[in-house]
Amino acid sequence: MAAGTQAPPSPPPPASTPMPRVRRRRRFGSRTVIGGLAILAVIYLVAGPLLMLVLTSFQDTSLGLVIRPPFPWSLQNYVDVFGDSGTYSAILSTLIFSAGSLLVAFAVSITCAWLVERTDLPARNAVFVLLVAPSGIPALILAISWSLLLNPNNGLINTLLRLPFGAEGPGPLDVYSLPWMILVQGMSLVPMTFLLITASLRGVNASLEEAARASGSGFSTIVRRITLPLLRPALIGALIYQFVTVVTALDVPLVLGLSGGVSVLSTEIYVASNPVGGLPNYGVSGTYGMFLLAVSLIPLLFYNRIIGRSQDYATITGKTFRPKTIALKRWKIPAVLFCWGYIALSFVLPMLVLLWASFQPYLGVWGLDALDRLTTAGYGEALGGAQFLDALRNTFVLGVAAALGGMVLAMALSWVIVRSRSRYRALVDILAFVPHALPGVVIGLSTLVLYLILPIPIYGTIWIIVVAMATQYISLGTRLTTAGIAQIQVGLEEAAETSGAGGRQIWQRVLGPLLRPVFLNGFLMIFLASIQNLTLPLMLGSNDNVVLSTLIWRRWDYGDVTGAAVLSVTMATITVIAATLLRRTTGTRGL
Amino acid sequence: MGAIRVEHLFHAYDDGGREVRAVDDVSFDVEQNAFYTLLGPSGCGKTTTLRCIAGLEEPTSGEIELDGVAVVSARGIVPTNKRPIGMVFQDYAVWPHMTVAENVAFPLKVAGDLSGREIQAKVMDALALMGMEQFVQRRATQLSGGQQQRLSLARALVRDPKVLLLDEPLSNLDAKLREQMRAELRQLQRRIKVTTVFVTHDQVEALSMSTTIAVMNQGRIVQEGSPREIYLQPNSRFVASFVGATNFVTGVVDAYDDDTRSAYLSTPAGPLCCRTEHAPEVGSAVTVAIRPEALEIGYEHPGRENLLEGRVQVGLFVGDAVDYRVRVGDQVFRVTGPQRSRFHRKDAVVLHVPADECVVIPDDPEVPAGVQATVQDQGAR
Repeated sequence: MAAGTQAPPSPPPPASTPMPRVRRRRRFGSRTVIGGLAILAVIYLVAGPLLMLVLTSFQDTSLGLVIRPPFPWSLQNYVDVFGDSGTYSAILSTLIFSAGSLLVAFAVSITCAWLVERTDLPARNAVFVLLVAPSGIPALILAISWSLLLNPNNGLINTLLRLPFGAEGPGPLDVYSLPWMILVQGMSLVPMTFLLITASLRGVNASLEEAARASGSGFSTIVRRITLPLLRPALIGALIYQFVTVVTALDVPLVLGLSGGVSVLSTEIYVASNPVGGLPNYGVSGTYGMFLLAVSLIPLLFYNRIIGRSQDYATITGKTFRPKTIALKRWKIPAVLFCWGYIALSFVLPMLVLLWASFQPYLGVWGLDALDRLTTAGYGEALGGAQFLDALRNTFVLGVAAALGGMVLAMALSWVIVRSRSRYRALVDILAFVPHALPGVVIGLSTLVLYLILPIPIYGTIWIIVVAMATQYISLGTRLTTAGIAQIQVGLEEAAETSGAGGRQIWQRVLGPLLRPVFLNGFLMIFLASIQNLTLPLMLGSNDNVVLSTLIWRRWDYGDVTGAAVLSVTMATITVIAATLLRRTTGTRGL
Repeated sequence: MGAIRVEHLFHAYDDGGREVRAVDDVSFDVEQNAFYTLLGPSGCGKTTTLRCIAGLEEPTSGEIELDGVAVVSARGIVPTNKRPIGMVFQDYAVWPHMTVAENVAFPLKVAGDLSGREIQAKVMDALALMGMEQFVQRRATQLSGGQQQRLSLARALVRDPKVLLLDEPLSNLDAKLREQMRAELRQLQRRIKVTTVFVTHDQVEALSMSTTIAVMNQGRIVQEGSPREIYLQPNSRFVASFVGATNFVTGVVDAYDDDTRSAYLSTPAGPLCCRTEHAPEVGSAVTVAIRPEALEIGYEHPGRENLLEGRVQVGLFVGDAVDYRVRVGDQVFRVTGPQRSRFHRKDAVVLHVPADECVVIPDDPEVPAGVQATVQDQGAR
């Protein structure tokens, strides 16, 4: 062959060329182990209690829980529960309560989010901060403060309303009724709903709206045809997320509903397992739990489908230039009044009444003479005792341990979900999502039953609450860590590998530092959520594991209004500051 | 012995029950200090091949040797971090939580066999090599794209790797910067003498930088050779059209002159004389590739051979040349005319192509079926 010409390629091998397999080396062996352990831990945390819930509901527990075979299998609980007309009224109340509070929360949140994000509303940043600030206030405290404002006997607003007519006796408004429960629960949902909606509104690429404007569409057409359809997945996602929150909520139904004889599913579970007198009936409670679980699981099936599909909407572009703001013109004053009126009603007024009550020796009739009674004695009494210090310490232990445990698990699970090529990753994804579908009362109940039976001596201690809390918030943690890990390009890891770093060194020097902000963010969120949570400490409570939220509830339930108010003010101060710091340090990205 | 030896490399994965071979029996050797380029369209398997060399992918089968050490063989696989490599990624993969100096020091720190002072000296050397000394204390995220590129190159070179792997390192840079980096990278590679494997889909990068190019398609190397061979003697329609613009003409061989190694063809565009080493069978159909810049355009031409008469369809002035489309018979030819030429639409012109510039493609699947066997024969000769 002459020089300068290229030899044609050798004839391609036939398609059936045998390929002797190269011996595989285990890639990231330690990671596989860690991932496997995390999966087992979640299976234990989630499946264990669930199994117990199912088993309990099919046993006759009227004589107490049977912890050794033979188990008294029976359908009696289902007969009892579904044969009782009270059940149906509880279901109806639950539905009305949920639908009503979601309506309130979304109407307020969508309006405010749109005003803040897309219009020339004055002092938008202040409105944003003040709408989000109450996310630090537990619903329990909100419910207590509204009870102080609106209870039929000596609620502040009732007293003021009676004044001009010289009327006597109870009323005219009664906070212990379904409409007011809806309003209070709705308000407690607003901060999170508002955050979810503003975040997705920001995510909608402004150029999509500008393209519509350039195509000759007017303002209302753009909102109707472009903005809302683009937001639909996010809105439905938020709606379902909050639906689960509200069906499973215990605080407001407990404080306001029980006193007024309004019963929802979550209170039925609580009452059956924590009766005022007599033995707890875990079987009946478990049956209610099964039903509640079904109610909250059904929409979550849609939630997953919607979240899956929403990735088709490539709205999140990372470009964050603000779209042209819409001039409100003559609507400016009504908009300002609406926003600030709502802030006053949902945040300022409840906090003021709590503060007032905390400086009163007892809850008397409101009036000028009450000024003479102002005293700080309540603070000394409520904050001085060993009970408060114990609760404070327990709360701290609970927050730190639940957050640490939850985040370590979440990290490991997200790692499997994002990075592994295992065919089990879809399963892990679902597994990490399940705890979100588990109502707090159900987790509480089933954890309780599980550790009554298992020979692990944590029943009645703070650790049983820690375990339940970590279970409850794995989903929250995983949402954050999955997003965080997905943001770290694989290339950064591969670059470390090609630079000669082994698995441990990659973690130590590259992944660890890169994931630290995500971990910290998730840690703080779970910490905050855990110390605010009333449901689990209440369901799993004993005299030895009292935390702040249960202490407040006990004082309130006992009739010690001043003590409850003092503790509420203290706790709200701590949590609002913590929540604000959290948002300051991490932005609103955490949601 | 070469610095890199890749033998019968396969990388297959299962796509819903169907076996897909991203790399399908690839073998090549890279000489010490060579600049070896894997060139091909996206999905041709070039990046997978590179990642197999780096150890970021596990091949299904095959052998890879780096600097005389088997890193992939039937006996097992050496993990990425134990291979003597440095790699530059398409998206730079600069660690955002470290400063420039920390990024570059990383490979030395994890190796753990140098003192702090030695590391610092080597880091400064590597940064100086890339002209990055003034950015030592910057955070990596404060750098521009081009600077991040240099940083990641410094990081890849700092531990004196035996093999430098470059995965489309220039494709994220803007056009001006890319041209500048092209020259710089090649000079640098010559100066520090490191065996380099470069992956790109950009023919200009491949032609200008490489000592050897392997053109890949559908998981296989379809032609391997020097840039000149690849460009001037493409062995297939695919290579000819992927590496630069080409006009293809099919014709029937009327005669072959052994003395001048010339084949005389009749084509729809007119008679053509082609210089070719492989004597095509008289009477068979073959494809001829003609580069646009090989065609001379004019109203008339003094020669008598290889003249194609046509009409100008359009002339696009592109600065350093005029890009003409000329219709000859049924076919439109792309012709690169001189910068100052001004042929107008519908002008009758004569195209001339020297016989040396008519490349007979020996193995063309688009040649009618009857002549396939003869062409195959020549390939095997």
